[in-house]
Amino acid sequence: MSQLYFEDIAPDDELEPQDQLPTEDKAVEFFGRDNPTNPAFGDAEAGRRMGFGGALVPGLLKLSWITNYVGSWAGPEANLRSVRVAFRRPDIAGKPLTIAGRVVDKREEDGCNIIELEVVTLADDQPTVRGNVQVEVPSRS
Amino acid sequence: MADVTESKITDEHRAMLGQKSDPIEVVPRTADAQRMRDLLGDTDPRWADGTGIAPPYILAMLEPRLPAELSPQVLSSGILTQTEWKFSQPIKLEEPLQAVTQLIDVRDRLGGRYGYSVLVMFQTSYLTGDGEEAAASLRTITQFDRPQS
Repeated sequence: MSQLYFEDIAPDDELEPQDQLPTEDKAVEFFGRDNPTNPAFGDAEAGRRMGFGGALVPGLLKLSWITNYVGSWAGPEANLRSVRVAFRRPDIAGKPLTIAGRVVDKREEDGCNIIELEVVTLADDQPTVRGNVQVEVPSRS
Repeated sequence: MADVTESKITDEHRAMLGQKSDPIEVVPRTADAQRMRDLLGDTDPRWADGTGIAPPYILAMLEPRLPAELSPQVLSSGILTQTEWKFSQPIKLEEPLQAVTQLIDVRDRLGGRYGYSVLVMFQTSYLTGDGEEAAASLRTITQFDRPQS
């Protein structure tokens, strides 16, 4: 896990996309097998009864993937300040997802080095989640 | 879907704004953190085994149900459309937090995929034993009426 510094980062920098394959099993395991969750997360038939094409991918799993995606990019000395996502359309288990991100702003604020990013999850090249992440990174100086 | 030209948000709904739930104790569990880290393939040393620190996405396990008494039911159906997590300090494993939820906004939305809809926004603050906010989550529910079939 490498560390990025404020001086290394510029607006329009793109994060390397990351592929994920959500499954019913991952959804159930994410919340813990003993914890009650939405039946549509682990059961394709339940998802179809709710009008979707199969088992739903939990929004909180996608949010966690995004959180980890940006955290891994920024490095262990960075501090995640906030992650905001809008769920644009449902994701269905078994369909591959790609997480992508881009730096949209960098600034110094109250002595902190702030990086703003836009992130998105894509299924069939269509955005399913759009998000904004704010992370504080260290300086080399 | 019928056009809606007047707000369906009433004074009774607005009266819920700002009211807070009773605190609910939530505990970031080590077992949950380990399981989630493994599932996500997270190797960040800050919340590795033995650090006593939870990964930020532990909030997914802590979020309490939205309290019915603070949830204005303006339209018949609802779906979670936005979530925001804010972090103020590291979350410590096995140290209880008090989760306090409040309704912070309710507003009309005209147009969009649901037609007339209502956005209902809640904030949950996670407070340490010292009363400091460790993290917060904001959830937006979009309420809509299902079309008659």
